Amino acid sequence: MHKLFIRLVFCTQLLLAVSCMKWEYGLEEDFDLSASGEGLFITNEGNFQYGNATLSYYDPKTRKVENEIFYRANAMKLGDVAQSMIIRDGVGWVVVNNSHVVFAIDINTFKEVGRITNLTSPRYIHFLSDEKAYITQIWDNRIFIVNPKRYEITGYIDIHNMTMESGSTEQMVQYGKYVFVNCWSYQNRILKIDTETDQVVDELVVGIQPTSLVMDCNDKLWTVTDGGYEGSPYGHEAPSLYKIDAATFTIEKQFKFDFGDWPSEVQLNGTKDKIYWLNDDVWEMDVTADRVPVRPFLPYNGTLYYGLTVDPHTGDVYIADAIDYVQQGKVYRYSQNRELLDEFYVGIIPGAFCWK
Amino acid sequence: MRRLFKIIALLALLPAVAAGQGKVNHIIPAVVYGDRPMKEIGVQQTKLDSIQLKENISLSMADVLTFNSAIFVKNYGRATLSTVAFRGTSPSHTQVSWNGMKINNPMLGMTDFSMIPSYFIDDASLLHGTSSVNETGGGLGGAVKLSTRPAQNDGFGLQYIQGVGSFKTFDEFLRLTYGNEHWQTSTRAVLSTSPNEFEYRNHDKKVNVYDEDMNIIEQYYPIEKNKSGAYKDFHLLQEVYYNTGKGDRFGLNAWYINSNRELPMLTVDHGEATDFDNRQREQTFRGVLSWDHLDNGWKVGAKGGYIYTWMAYDYKRDVGNGNMAHMTQSRSEINTIYGQGDGEYYIGKEWLFTASLSAHQHFVESRDKNIIRQDGNKAVVGYEMARIELSGSISAKWRPTDRFGLSAVIREELFGNTLTPIIPALFVDGVISKKGNVVAKASISRNYRFPTLNDLYFLPGGNPDLKSESGWTYDAGISFAVGEEGKYSLSGSANWFDSYIKDWIIWLPTTKGFFSPDNIKDVHAYGVELTGDLSVALSKEWNLVLNGTFSWTPSINVGEPRTPADQSVGKQLPYVPELSSSVTGTLSWRDWTFLYKWCHYSERFTMSSNDITLTGKLPSYFMSNITLEKGFSFKWADISVKAVVNNLFDEEYLSVLSRPMPGINFEVFLGITPKF
Repeated sequence: MHKLFIRLVFCTQLLLAVSCMKWEYGLEEDFDLSASGEGLFITNEGNFQYGNATLSYYDPKTRKVENEIFYRANAMKLGDVAQSMIIRDGVGWVVVNNSHVVFAIDINTFKEVGRITNLTSPRYIHFLSDEKAYITQIWDNRIFIVNPKRYEITGYIDIHNMTMESGSTEQMVQYGKYVFVNCWSYQNRILKIDTETDQVVDELVVGIQPTSLVMDCNDKLWTVTDGGYEGSPYGHEAPSLYKIDAATFTIEKQFKFDFGDWPSEVQLNGTKDKIYWLNDDVWEMDVTADRVPVRPFLPYNGTLYYGLTVDPHTGDVYIADAIDYVQQGKVYRYSQNRELLDEFYVGIIPGAFCWK
Repeated sequence: MRRLFKIIALLALLPAVAAGQGKVNHIIPAVVYGDRPMKEIGVQQTKLDSIQLKENISLSMADVLTFNSAIFVKNYGRATLSTVAFRGTSPSHTQVSWNGMKINNPMLGMTDFSMIPSYFIDDASLLHGTSSVNETGGGLGGAVKLSTRPAQNDGFGLQYIQGVGSFKTFDEFLRLTYGNEHWQTSTRAVLSTSPNEFEYRNHDKKVNVYDEDMNIIEQYYPIEKNKSGAYKDFHLLQEVYYNTGKGDRFGLNAWYINSNRELPMLTVDHGEATDFDNRQREQTFRGVLSWDHLDNGWKVGAKGGYIYTWMAYDYKRDVGNGNMAHMTQSRSEINTIYGQGDGEYYIGKEWLFTASLSAHQHFVESRDKNIIRQDGNKAVVGYEMARIELSGSISAKWRPTDRFGLSAVIREELFGNTLTPIIPALFVDGVISKKGNVVAKASISRNYRFPTLNDLYFLPGGNPDLKSESGWTYDAGISFAVGEEGKYSLSGSANWFDSYIKDWIIWLPTTKGFFSPDNIKDVHAYGVELTGDLSVALSKEWNLVLNGTFSWTPSINVGEPRTPADQSVGKQLPYVPELSSSVTGTLSWRDWTFLYKWCHYSERFTMSSNDITLTGKLPSYFMSNITLEKGFSFKWADISVKAVVNNLFDEEYLSVLSRPMPGINFEVFLGITPKF
C-alpha cells in the first residue's frame, strides 16, 4: 500500500510538472516594400466577435502574397472585423469596425504609426485634408469628424431621421466641397454634406439599402441597392443600380435587377469609365451605357464572390471568394481578357481591397 | 441472485457530502452489490455524484463538467456563456432536461450551462450518443439529464455558506429543509456577484506612447482588467415532495433565475469601457409538477410544467454628457407549456416495456431591432411564432440471463406539423467475465434534430427551407470494476463511437450584411472515451480518490467542397478539440480534505481548413485547481472552512479567441449547518 501511495504521489507531481505553459509572444517582422511600387492590400474581415481580422498584401508584379502583415509587423492583432482601408500620403488607414478603431500604418513597413480610438462602429474613412477626415458608422446616427494628425475625434455630423439603433452611414465620395454618403442598413438615401459647415444639406432617396458608392470620370455617382430582404418591415423590393448626377444631385438612370438578386460591390476601373459589380457573376458596364449588358464579365463558376476590385493601372479584375467564411478566403486575378492570371489565399472573409 | 452483479461504486469517500459543504462525513471504499437496472441495458452514461456537484457554491454546471467529464465545454469567459458539446458535435446537438422538462432554448437550440448553479442539481447524468434516444430525440451528440431529489431530512435543516473570492466576488448559498415521513420540502437560494475585473496581460493589442508630434515612441502589451464583465446572478429553487407511502409520490419544483451580466469587452477592443454598456439580462421561471405511482411490476408517472424566459440584450454608448443611447435593444420572450406521461411494465424479471409521450408547446416573441420605416413610422424587426414539439417512445428490454441484455427503442417526434422518420435505437450488453465485472456494451441509433425557431424564422436571415439534421451513431464499449471491501475499488471503461451527421446547420454571413443558416456540412465524428476511477483506503485515516477521463474526438467535415477553393473537406471542425482529458484527485485525512483538479484541451483549430495562423491560434492548455477543506463538528453545528485556488499555475490561456480568462485566483468559503 505504501508503494502504491508513493507511486500516486509521483504521478501527481508529474501532473503538476507538465501543467506550466508559456505564452508565445509575437515577434515584430521587418518589411520594406517601398521599392516594389504597385501593391494591393486586402482587408480580411475575420469572424465577428472572434477578433481574427487580418491584412494581406499582394504584389501584382512578383505575384507574391504576404498574409497577416499587420500582426507580423506589429506583433498584435488587427482586431474584430476589418471593414475598409484607404491610403493617403504613404499612410494606410485601416478601419476595424467592432474594435472601435482606425489604425494608421506605414504602407511599406506595415508598422503602426497611430490610431483613432473609441469610435462607435466605424465603417469608412474619407480625408478632407491632412487635419480633417470623416468616419462613417453603423449603429450610430452621427458621422465622426476626426483630426488624423492628432488621432482625435473633433466633432460629429448629426444625421436627421435616423436613430442610433438604425443608424448607418457608409461609403463617401467627394465632389467639390460636398461629400456624398450612402446610408445602407434599413435606409434608402444618399446624403450630401457641406464640408465647410459639416452639415447635411440635402438628401436623395433611392431604393432600399444602397450598399456602395463611387464617382466616375463624368462626375456621376453610382450606387447599387440590395433591395432589403423577405419579411423586412422596411420593405423588400427588386434591387437597382442608380446613376446620379453629382452636380444636380438627381437620379439620371435606374437599372433594375430581378427581384431576389443580390447585387453588391460597385467598383470603378483606373480611368473611371467602367463600373463593375457582383451579382452572382461579375459584371462590367461602360459608364455611358444605357442598359446592363446581357452577359456577365465573368460568369458564376461555383465561387462565392464577396469582394471585388480593379487594378487602376492594368485593369485586371480581382475577386475574392469567402468560401465558407471560416477559412482563408481566396482571391482570383483575371485579365481584361477574362484570363485567370493568378490565384492566392488570403485571410478569413476577404471583403475589401486598397491599391497602393 | 439473478440480475445481481457485483459492481463497485465509489461511494463518497470524502468529507462533506451528500448534504454539501458544512457537514463532514468519512466513508471508506465500499464494494456494493446491486442490480444492473434493466432500463440501462447497453447505455453509455456518466453519472456525476453529489461530491462532484456540491464541491463549492460558486461552481456552475459548466465548471463541474469541465473537470469531471469527457465532454467539451466552450467557455467564453468567467460568468459568460458556456456551452457543452459531446463527441465533436455542436452545443445544439446536446439535449438538456431538468426534472424531465427540456430546457434547451427553443430559439437558439443550446443551453447556457454557466446559468445552472451546480448546487441546485442533485443528480446529473450524461447520456452519450445513442443512449440519449432513451430520453429524447435530437441529441445527435448526447443528452444531459439534470434533476433534483428530496433531501430525505427528518425535521428542520438549515445550511448557509458564504464565499468570498478574488475580484470582489461574493457567493452566498442558503438552504432550508423540512422533512417527515411523508413530506420533504427544500428552499435553496444562491446569489453571486462580482465586478469581475480580473487582470490579464493582453497579448492582442499594444498601448502606444506618443511624443508631442504624435509619433509613437513606445509600445507595450498592457496589463488590462476584464472590462465590462460584472455580473449579479440570483437563483431560487423551491421543492415540495409528498410520498403517500402507498406507492404515490408527488413533487413540485420551481426555479427562478434573475441574471444581470455585462458582456466583457474583447481583447481587441479599443473602445473606452466607460463609454459603452454591453449587457444581457435574463429572468427565467421553470416549474414542474410530477406524480409517480409505483406498484408491483409497473410504474406510471405524469409531469406538467411551464417555462417563462425573458431575455434582454442592450448595447449602448455614451453620446455625450453620460447620455447612453441604444445601439442595439433586443428582447425575447419564451413561454413553454410542458406535459409528459410515462409508463413502465415488467413481465417477470426478463422483460420490461416502457412508453413515454412528452409535449413542449413554445410561444416565442423575438424583437431584435427598432427601426424607422420608409414612411417614417416606427417598426420592430423580429418574429412571433408558436410551435408544438411532441416526442413519443416505446421500448422493450429483455434480459434472459444474468449475462445478457437487449433493448430496443422506437421514438417518433413531431415539430410543428413535420414528423420525423422513425428514430430507432438498439442496445445490447453482456457480462464477459464475472471476475472483474467485465461488461461489454454496444448500441446503434438513428437520430434527427429539427432546426431551431431562430434557424427558421429569425429576421433577418432565418431560413424556412432548412432540413432537419440527421445522423447514425454506433457505440461500443467495455467496462470493469474490481475492489476489496473497505480497502480499495477500481473501475474503468473504454468506449468507441462513430457517428455520421448529415445536413449540419451552420450560420454564415451573407453579402447583405447579416447571417443566415443553411444545411452546409456532413460530418463524421468518431473516437474513444476512457474513464477510470480509483478509491483507496491508504490507512485508517487516509483516503484517496482519483477520477480520470480522456477523449479522442476527431470530428471531420466529409461534405462536398463549398467552392472550388474549399480546403475544409477532410478536416477537423473548428473549435472542437481532438484530445481532452481531466483528472481529479482527493486526499482526505480525518477532517481535512485536499482536492486537486486538472484538465487539458488540445489545440483547437479556428479555421475549417485547419490552418494555424498567428491570429487564429488557440494553443492547448492545462488547468489546475486545488481546494483544501477542514471540517469542525460541534454540538450545535457542523462548520467547514474551505480555501480554493483556481488556475494554480497562473496559466495564460484562451478558450475562445479574444475572450480573456482569469489567471490565478482565490476563494474562501465558510459553511455552517446548525443541528436542531
